[in-house]
Amino acid sequence: MSFLFKRTVGSGYTLGRSILSNVKSPAVQRVATLADQAAPQTETRPTVAKFDPLQKAHLVDFGKYLAECMPKYVQKVQLTAGNELEVLIPPEGVIPVLQFLKDHHSAQFTNLVDIAGMDVPNRPNRFEIIYNLLSLRYNARIRVKTYTDELSPVDSANDVFKAANWYEREIWDMYGVFFANHPDLRRILTDYGFEGHPFRKDFPLSGYVEVRYDDEQKRVVVEPLELAQEFRRFELSAPWEQFPNFRSNPASEEVVNPGDEKSKQ
Amino acid sequence: MGMLKRTTGLVGMAVAPNAHHTLGALYGKILRVLQKMPENAAYRKYTEQIVRERAAVLKQTRDVYEIETKINCGQAEELIIQAENELNLARKMLNWKPWEPLMAKPPKGQWDWPPTKA
Repeated sequence: MSFLFKRTVGSGYTLGRSILSNVKSPAVQRVATLADQAAPQTETRPTVAKFDPLQKAHLVDFGKYLAECMPKYVQKVQLTAGNELEVLIPPEGVIPVLQFLKDHHSAQFTNLVDIAGMDVPNRPNRFEIIYNLLSLRYNARIRVKTYTDELSPVDSANDVFKAANWYEREIWDMYGVFFANHPDLRRILTDYGFEGHPFRKDFPLSGYVEVRYDDEQKRVVVEPLELAQEFRRFELSAPWEQFPNFRSNPASEEVVNPGDEKSKQ
Repeated sequence: MGMLKRTTGLVGMAVAPNAHHTLGALYGKILRVLQKMPENAAYRKYTEQIVRERAAVLKQTRDVYEIETKINCGQAEELIIQAENELNLARKMLNWKPWEPLMAKPPKGQWDWPPTKA
Protein backbone atom coordinates (compact mmCIF):
# COMPACT_ATOMS: atom_id res chain seq x y z
CA MET A 1 0.00 0.00 0.00
CA SER A 2 1.12 3.50 -0.57
CA PHE A 3 2.61 5.59 2.13
CA LEU A 4 -0.27 8.02 2.39
CA PHE A 5 -2.75 5.29 3.05
CA LYS A 6 -0.52 3.42 5.45
CA ARG A 7 -0.19 6.57 7.50
CA THR A 8 -3.88 7.11 7.55
CA VAL A 9 -4.75 3.63 8.72
CA GLY A 10 -3.26 4.54 12.06
CA SER A 11 -5.59 7.48 12.38
CA GLY A 12 -8.66 5.31 12.54
CA TYR A 13 -9.39 6.57 16.00
CA THR A 14 -10.70 9.80 14.54
CA LEU A 15 -13.61 7.91 13.05
CA GLY A 16 -15.44 7.58 16.33
CA ARG A 17 -15.37 11.31 16.89
CA SER A 18 -16.66 12.35 13.51
CA ILE A 19 -19.97 14.10 13.38
CA LEU A 20 -22.90 12.86 11.38
CA SER A 21 -25.30 15.61 10.50
CA ASN A 22 -26.78 13.92 7.49
CA VAL A 23 -29.76 12.31 9.12
CA LYS A 24 -31.38 14.94 11.26
CA SER A 25 -31.69 18.64 10.77
CA PRO A 26 -28.27 20.41 10.63
CA ALA A 27 -28.95 22.24 13.85
CA VAL A 28 -28.88 19.00 15.80
CA GLN A 29 -25.44 17.48 15.54
CA ARG A 30 -24.71 14.25 17.24
CA VAL A 31 -21.55 12.33 17.74
CA ALA A 32 -21.53 8.94 16.09
CA THR A 33 -20.81 6.02 18.35
CA LEU A 34 -20.11 2.38 17.60
CA ALA A 35 -23.73 1.51 18.25
CA ASP A 36 -24.84 4.09 15.70
CA GLN A 37 -22.68 2.66 12.97
CA ALA A 38 -23.89 -0.86 13.62
CA ALA A 39 -27.58 0.01 13.44
CA PRO A 40 -28.97 -0.11 9.89
CA GLN A 41 -30.01 3.36 8.81
CA THR A 42 -32.82 3.93 6.37
CA GLU A 43 -31.77 6.03 3.41
CA THR A 44 -33.76 9.24 3.52
CA ARG A 45 -31.79 11.41 1.08
CA PRO A 46 -30.38 9.18 -1.66
CA THR A 47 -29.31 12.06 -3.88
CA VAL A 48 -27.20 13.84 -1.25
CA ALA A 49 -23.50 13.05 -1.30
CA LYS A 50 -22.53 10.61 1.43
CA PHE A 51 -20.20 11.71 4.16
CA ASP A 52 -17.11 9.52 4.09
CA PRO A 53 -15.30 9.45 7.45
CA LEU A 54 -12.39 7.45 6.03
CA GLN A 55 -11.72 10.00 3.30
CA LYS A 56 -11.94 12.76 5.86
CA ALA A 57 -9.45 10.97 8.11
CA HIS A 58 -7.08 10.69 5.15
CA LEU A 59 -7.37 14.40 4.44
CA VAL A 60 -6.87 15.43 8.05
CA ASP A 61 -3.85 13.21 8.25
CA PHE A 62 -2.37 14.54 5.04
CA GLY A 63 -2.96 18.09 6.24
CA LYS A 64 -0.97 17.39 9.38
CA TYR A 65 1.74 15.70 7.34
CA LEU A 66 2.06 18.71 5.05
CA ALA A 67 2.20 21.15 7.95
CA GLU A 68 4.89 19.03 9.60
CA CYS A 69 6.99 18.80 6.43
CA MET A 70 6.83 22.52 5.60
CA PRO A 71 6.44 24.44 8.87
CA LYS A 72 8.12 27.45 7.28
CA TYR A 73 5.27 28.07 4.86
CA VAL A 74 2.05 26.59 6.22
CA GLN A 75 0.08 29.14 8.21
CA LYS A 76 -3.00 27.07 8.69
CA VAL A 77 -4.65 23.90 7.45
CA GLN A 78 -8.40 23.63 7.51
CA LEU A 79 -11.28 21.51 6.25
CA THR A 80 -14.25 23.20 4.64
CA ALA A 81 -17.57 21.72 3.60
CA GLY A 82 -16.69 18.57 5.52
CA ASN A 83 -14.18 17.09 3.12
CA GLU A 84 -12.26 19.83 1.32
CA LEU A 85 -8.71 20.29 2.54
CA GLU A 86 -7.33 23.83 2.41
CA VAL A 87 -3.77 24.94 3.03
CA LEU A 88 -3.27 28.61 3.81
CA ILE A 89 0.19 29.97 3.03
CA PRO A 90 1.96 33.32 2.70
CA PRO A 91 2.65 34.48 -0.90
CA GLU A 92 6.36 33.65 -0.55
CA GLY A 93 5.52 29.97 -0.13
CA VAL A 94 3.60 29.45 -3.35
CA ILE A 95 6.38 27.83 -5.35
CA PRO A 96 7.77 25.57 -2.59
CA VAL A 97 4.37 24.33 -1.44
CA LEU A 98 3.09 23.68 -4.96
CA GLN A 99 6.32 21.97 -5.90
CA PHE A 100 6.14 19.81 -2.80
CA LEU A 101 2.53 18.85 -3.50
CA LYS A 102 3.39 18.01 -7.08
CA ASP A 103 6.62 16.08 -6.64
CA HIS A 104 6.51 14.42 -3.25
CA HIS A 105 5.95 10.67 -3.30
CA SER A 106 3.01 10.67 -0.95
CA ALA A 107 1.30 13.73 -2.44
CA GLN A 108 1.59 13.62 -6.26
CA PHE A 109 -0.92 16.39 -6.92
CA THR A 110 0.22 16.55 -10.53
CA ASN A 111 -2.83 18.29 -11.98
CA LEU A 112 -3.51 21.97 -11.55
CA VAL A 113 -7.26 22.10 -11.99
CA ASP A 114 -7.78 25.82 -11.64
CA ILE A 115 -6.49 29.03 -10.16
CA ALA A 116 -9.14 31.31 -8.77
CA GLY A 117 -9.08 34.79 -7.32
CA MET A 118 -11.13 36.47 -4.66
CA ASP A 119 -11.50 40.11 -3.67
CA VAL A 120 -12.36 41.17 -0.13
CA PRO A 121 -11.76 44.94 -0.07
CA ASN A 122 -11.79 45.41 3.70
CA ARG A 123 -8.80 43.15 4.31
CA PRO A 124 -5.27 44.55 4.38
CA ASN A 125 -4.34 42.05 1.65
CA ARG A 126 -7.50 42.26 -0.35
CA PHE A 127 -6.90 39.49 -2.90
CA GLU A 128 -6.84 35.77 -2.32
CA ILE A 129 -5.29 33.49 -4.92
CA ILE A 130 -6.65 29.96 -4.75
CA TYR A 131 -4.96 26.97 -6.39
CA ASN A 132 -7.03 23.80 -6.83
CA LEU A 133 -4.94 20.66 -7.25
CA LEU A 134 -5.87 17.08 -8.08
CA SER A 135 -3.92 13.92 -7.38
CA LEU A 136 -4.93 11.14 -9.74
CA ARG A 137 -2.66 8.69 -7.96
CA TYR A 138 -4.44 9.02 -4.61
CA ASN A 139 -7.79 10.30 -5.91
CA ALA A 140 -7.55 13.38 -3.72
CA ARG A 141 -7.96 17.10 -4.08
CA ILE A 142 -6.38 19.94 -2.18
CA ARG A 143 -6.76 23.69 -2.22
CA VAL A 144 -3.88 26.09 -1.61
CA LYS A 145 -4.75 29.66 -0.69
CA THR A 146 -2.51 32.67 -0.49
CA TYR A 147 -3.03 36.41 -0.31
CA THR A 148 -1.71 39.62 -1.82
CA ASP A 149 -2.65 43.25 -2.36
CA GLU A 150 -2.80 45.43 -5.48
CA LEU A 151 0.93 46.17 -5.59
CA SER A 152 2.88 43.22 -4.27
CA PRO A 153 3.54 40.53 -6.88
CA VAL A 154 3.02 36.81 -6.31
CA ASP A 155 5.53 34.31 -7.70
CA SER A 156 4.21 32.72 -10.87
CA ALA A 157 3.47 29.00 -10.59
CA ASN A 158 4.29 28.58 -14.26
CA ASP A 159 7.62 26.91 -13.44
CA VAL A 160 5.81 24.21 -11.48
CA PHE A 161 2.64 23.76 -13.51
CA LYS A 162 2.57 24.75 -17.16
CA ALA A 163 -1.21 24.97 -16.83
CA ALA A 164 -0.78 28.02 -14.62
CA ASN A 165 0.15 30.18 -17.60
CA TRP A 166 -3.34 31.09 -18.79
CA TYR A 167 -4.93 30.90 -15.35
CA GLU A 168 -2.53 33.52 -14.09
CA ARG A 169 -3.19 35.70 -17.09
CA GLU A 170 -6.86 35.40 -16.25
CA ILE A 171 -6.27 36.47 -12.64
CA TRP A 172 -4.12 39.35 -13.86
CA ASP A 173 -6.86 40.41 -16.26
CA MET A 174 -9.75 40.10 -13.82
CA TYR A 175 -8.15 41.25 -10.56
CA GLY A 176 -4.93 43.00 -11.50
CA VAL A 177 -2.73 40.77 -9.38
CA PHE A 178 0.81 40.86 -10.75
CA PHE A 179 2.66 37.55 -11.14
CA ALA A 180 6.43 37.80 -10.99
CA ASN A 181 8.43 35.77 -13.53
CA HIS A 182 5.42 34.97 -15.64
CA PRO A 183 6.59 34.45 -19.24
CA ASP A 184 3.68 36.18 -20.95
CA LEU A 185 1.51 38.24 -18.62
CA ARG A 186 -1.12 39.84 -20.86
CA ARG A 187 -4.87 40.42 -20.85
CA ILE A 188 -6.73 37.25 -21.79
CA LEU A 189 -10.50 37.70 -21.43
CA THR A 190 -11.23 41.38 -21.87
CA ASP A 191 -11.38 43.27 -25.17
CA TYR A 192 -8.53 45.07 -26.91
CA GLY A 193 -7.76 48.34 -25.20
CA PHE A 194 -9.84 47.48 -22.14
CA GLU A 195 -8.92 49.34 -18.99
CA GLY A 196 -9.46 48.22 -15.43
CA HIS A 197 -9.95 44.86 -13.77
CA PRO A 198 -13.61 43.85 -13.89
CA PHE A 199 -13.72 41.35 -11.00
CA ARG A 200 -12.60 43.92 -8.45
CA LYS A 201 -15.38 44.83 -6.08
CA ASP A 202 -14.87 48.53 -6.81
CA PHE A 203 -15.37 48.06 -10.56
CA PRO A 204 -18.87 49.31 -11.46
CA LEU A 205 -21.29 46.69 -12.73
CA SER A 206 -22.05 48.76 -15.82
CA GLY A 207 -18.39 49.27 -16.70
CA TYR A 208 -16.88 52.55 -17.92
CA VAL A 209 -17.48 52.41 -21.68
CA GLU A 210 -20.20 51.21 -24.02
CA VAL A 211 -19.87 49.81 -27.51
CA ARG A 212 -22.43 50.43 -30.25
CA TYR A 213 -22.69 50.49 -34.03
CA ASP A 214 -22.73 54.01 -35.42
CA ASP A 215 -24.84 54.32 -38.54
CA GLU A 216 -23.24 57.56 -39.75
CA GLN A 217 -19.65 56.45 -39.36
CA LYS A 218 -20.55 52.91 -40.51
CA ARG A 219 -18.49 51.29 -37.78
CA VAL A 220 -18.52 50.19 -34.17
CA VAL A 221 -17.67 53.00 -31.77
CA VAL A 222 -16.60 52.87 -28.14
CA GLU A 223 -17.91 55.72 -26.01
CA PRO A 224 -17.83 56.63 -22.35
CA LEU A 225 -20.87 55.20 -20.61
CA GLU A 226 -23.91 57.46 -20.36
CA LEU A 227 -26.52 56.39 -17.85
CA ALA A 228 -30.02 57.84 -17.85
CA GLN A 229 -29.75 58.18 -14.10
CA GLU A 230 -26.88 59.84 -12.26
CA PHE A 231 -24.44 57.43 -10.64
CA ARG A 232 -25.69 56.45 -7.23
CA ARG A 233 -24.12 54.61 -4.39
CA PHE A 234 -26.63 51.95 -3.53
CA GLU A 235 -26.76 50.81 0.06
CA LEU A 236 -26.43 47.07 -0.37
CA SER A 237 -25.94 45.94 3.21
CA ALA A 238 -29.04 44.51 4.79
CA PRO A 239 -30.13 45.36 8.33
CA TRP A 240 -30.29 41.69 9.31
CA GLU A 241 -27.44 39.30 9.86
CA GLN A 242 -26.03 37.88 6.62
CA PHE A 243 -24.58 34.57 7.71
CA PRO A 244 -26.45 33.45 10.82
CA ASN A 245 -25.49 29.84 10.18
CA PHE A 246 -21.81 30.65 10.59
CA ARG A 247 -22.25 32.27 14.02
CA SER A 248 -22.32 29.05 16.04
CA ASN A 249 -20.62 26.65 13.60
CA PRO A 250 -17.78 28.21 11.61
CA ALA A 251 -17.44 27.58 7.88
CA SER A 252 -14.23 25.64 8.30
CA GLU A 253 -12.74 23.38 10.92
CA GLU A 254 -9.10 23.74 11.78
CA VAL A 255 -6.69 20.91 11.28
CA VAL A 256 -3.39 22.62 12.06
CA ASN A 257 -2.77 26.22 13.05
CA PRO A 258 0.92 26.74 13.82
CA GLY A 259 0.58 30.52 13.95
CA ASP A 260 -1.80 30.37 16.88
CA GLU A 261 0.13 27.73 18.80
CA LYS A 262 3.12 30.04 18.85
CA SER A 263 1.17 32.96 20.25
CA LYS A 264 -0.27 30.83 23.06
CA GLN A 265 3.15 29.70 24.25
CA MET B 1 14.42 -12.58 -14.69
CA GLY B 2 10.73 -12.79 -15.39
CA MET B 3 8.73 -12.16 -18.52
CA LEU B 4 9.92 -9.37 -20.77
CA LYS B 5 7.72 -6.28 -20.57
CA ARG B 6 6.44 -5.22 -23.99
CA THR B 7 4.36 -2.14 -23.24
CA THR B 8 3.27 0.06 -20.38
CA GLY B 9 -0.16 0.50 -21.91
CA LEU B 10 0.15 4.23 -21.32
CA VAL B 11 0.39 6.63 -24.24
CA GLY B 12 3.77 8.28 -24.57
CA MET B 13 5.44 6.15 -21.91
CA ALA B 14 8.04 3.78 -23.30
CA VAL B 15 9.14 0.67 -21.46
CA ALA B 16 12.23 1.43 -19.42
CA PRO B 17 15.04 -0.86 -20.66
CA ASN B 18 16.66 -1.34 -17.27
CA ALA B 19 14.15 -0.16 -14.69
CA HIS B 20 15.77 -1.90 -11.75
CA HIS B 21 19.11 -0.22 -12.29
CA THR B 22 17.58 3.22 -13.00
CA LEU B 23 15.42 3.09 -9.90
CA GLY B 24 18.32 1.97 -7.73
CA ALA B 25 20.48 4.83 -8.98
CA LEU B 26 17.73 7.39 -8.44
CA TYR B 27 16.95 6.22 -4.91
CA GLY B 28 20.66 6.37 -4.10
CA LYS B 29 20.83 9.94 -5.36
CA ILE B 30 17.76 10.98 -3.37
CA LEU B 31 19.19 9.51 -0.17
CA ARG B 32 22.47 11.32 -0.75
CA VAL B 33 20.70 14.66 -1.21
CA LEU B 34 18.65 14.03 1.92
CA GLN B 35 21.85 13.49 3.89
CA LYS B 36 22.58 17.21 3.53
CA MET B 37 19.39 18.19 5.37
CA PRO B 38 19.25 18.54 9.15
CA GLU B 39 18.51 15.32 11.04
CA ASN B 40 15.23 16.45 12.56
CA ALA B 41 13.67 17.84 9.38
CA ALA B 42 10.30 16.13 8.92
CA TYR B 43 10.67 16.16 5.16
CA ARG B 44 13.96 14.28 5.38
CA LYS B 45 12.56 11.81 7.88
CA TYR B 46 9.49 10.87 5.86
CA THR B 47 11.17 10.88 2.47
CA GLU B 48 13.98 8.69 3.72
CA GLN B 49 11.39 6.31 5.08
CA ILE B 50 9.56 6.08 1.76
CA VAL B 51 12.69 5.77 -0.34
CA ARG B 52 14.28 3.20 1.97
CA GLU B 53 11.11 1.09 1.78
CA ARG B 54 11.24 1.16 -1.99
CA ALA B 55 14.97 0.53 -2.14
CA ALA B 56 14.48 -2.49 0.12
CA VAL B 57 12.00 -3.92 -2.38
CA LEU B 58 14.59 -3.42 -5.11
CA LYS B 59 17.09 -5.42 -3.11
CA GLN B 60 14.67 -8.32 -2.64
CA THR B 61 14.01 -8.93 -6.30
CA ARG B 62 15.13 -8.00 -9.79
CA ASP B 63 11.84 -8.87 -11.46
CA VAL B 64 10.05 -5.76 -12.72
CA TYR B 65 6.54 -7.14 -12.19
CA GLU B 66 7.33 -8.17 -8.67
CA ILE B 67 8.77 -4.72 -7.91
CA GLU B 68 5.60 -3.11 -9.21
CA THR B 69 3.27 -5.26 -7.12
CA LYS B 70 5.36 -4.88 -3.98
CA ILE B 71 5.77 -1.12 -4.16
CA ASN B 72 2.18 -0.80 -5.41
CA CYS B 73 2.40 2.76 -6.71
CA GLY B 74 2.09 2.26 -10.46
CA GLN B 75 4.34 0.73 -13.09
CA ALA B 76 8.12 0.77 -12.97
CA GLU B 77 8.21 3.61 -15.52
CA GLU B 78 5.89 5.66 -13.31
CA LEU B 79 8.05 4.84 -10.30
CA ILE B 80 11.02 6.24 -12.21
CA ILE B 81 9.15 9.47 -12.89
CA GLN B 82 8.14 9.72 -9.24
CA ALA B 83 11.72 9.19 -8.15
CA GLU B 84 12.97 11.82 -10.63
CA ASN B 85 10.42 14.27 -9.27
CA GLU B 86 11.39 13.56 -5.71
CA LEU B 87 15.08 14.03 -6.51
CA ASN B 88 14.31 17.32 -8.21
CA LEU B 89 12.23 18.39 -5.21
CA ALA B 90 14.83 17.35 -2.66
CA ARG B 91 17.50 19.42 -4.41
CA LYS B 92 15.23 22.47 -4.39
CA MET B 93 14.33 21.86 -0.76
CA LEU B 94 17.98 22.38 0.16
CA ASN B 95 17.62 26.00 -0.96
CA TRP B 96 14.15 26.59 0.42
CA LYS B 97 14.83 25.08 3.86
CA PRO B 98 11.15 24.47 4.67
CA TRP B 99 12.01 22.98 8.08
CA GLU B 100 12.64 26.46 9.49
CA PRO B 101 9.93 28.06 11.67
CA LEU B 102 6.99 29.91 10.12
CA MET B 103 8.29 32.79 8.01
CA ALA B 104 5.29 35.14 8.08
CA LYS B 105 2.21 35.19 10.24
CA PRO B 106 -1.03 35.97 8.45
CA PRO B 107 -2.27 39.57 8.86
CA LYS B 108 -5.06 39.81 11.40
CA GLY B 109 -8.41 38.73 10.01
CA GLN B 110 -6.87 37.47 6.76
CA TRP B 111 -8.34 33.97 6.94
CA ASP B 112 -11.59 34.82 8.72
CA TRP B 113 -14.71 33.79 6.90
CA PRO B 114 -17.23 35.30 6.55
CA PRO B 115 -15.28 38.58 6.60
CA THR B 116 -16.25 41.04 9.29
CA LYS B 117 -18.22 44.06 8.19
CA ALA B 118 -16.17 47.08 7.22
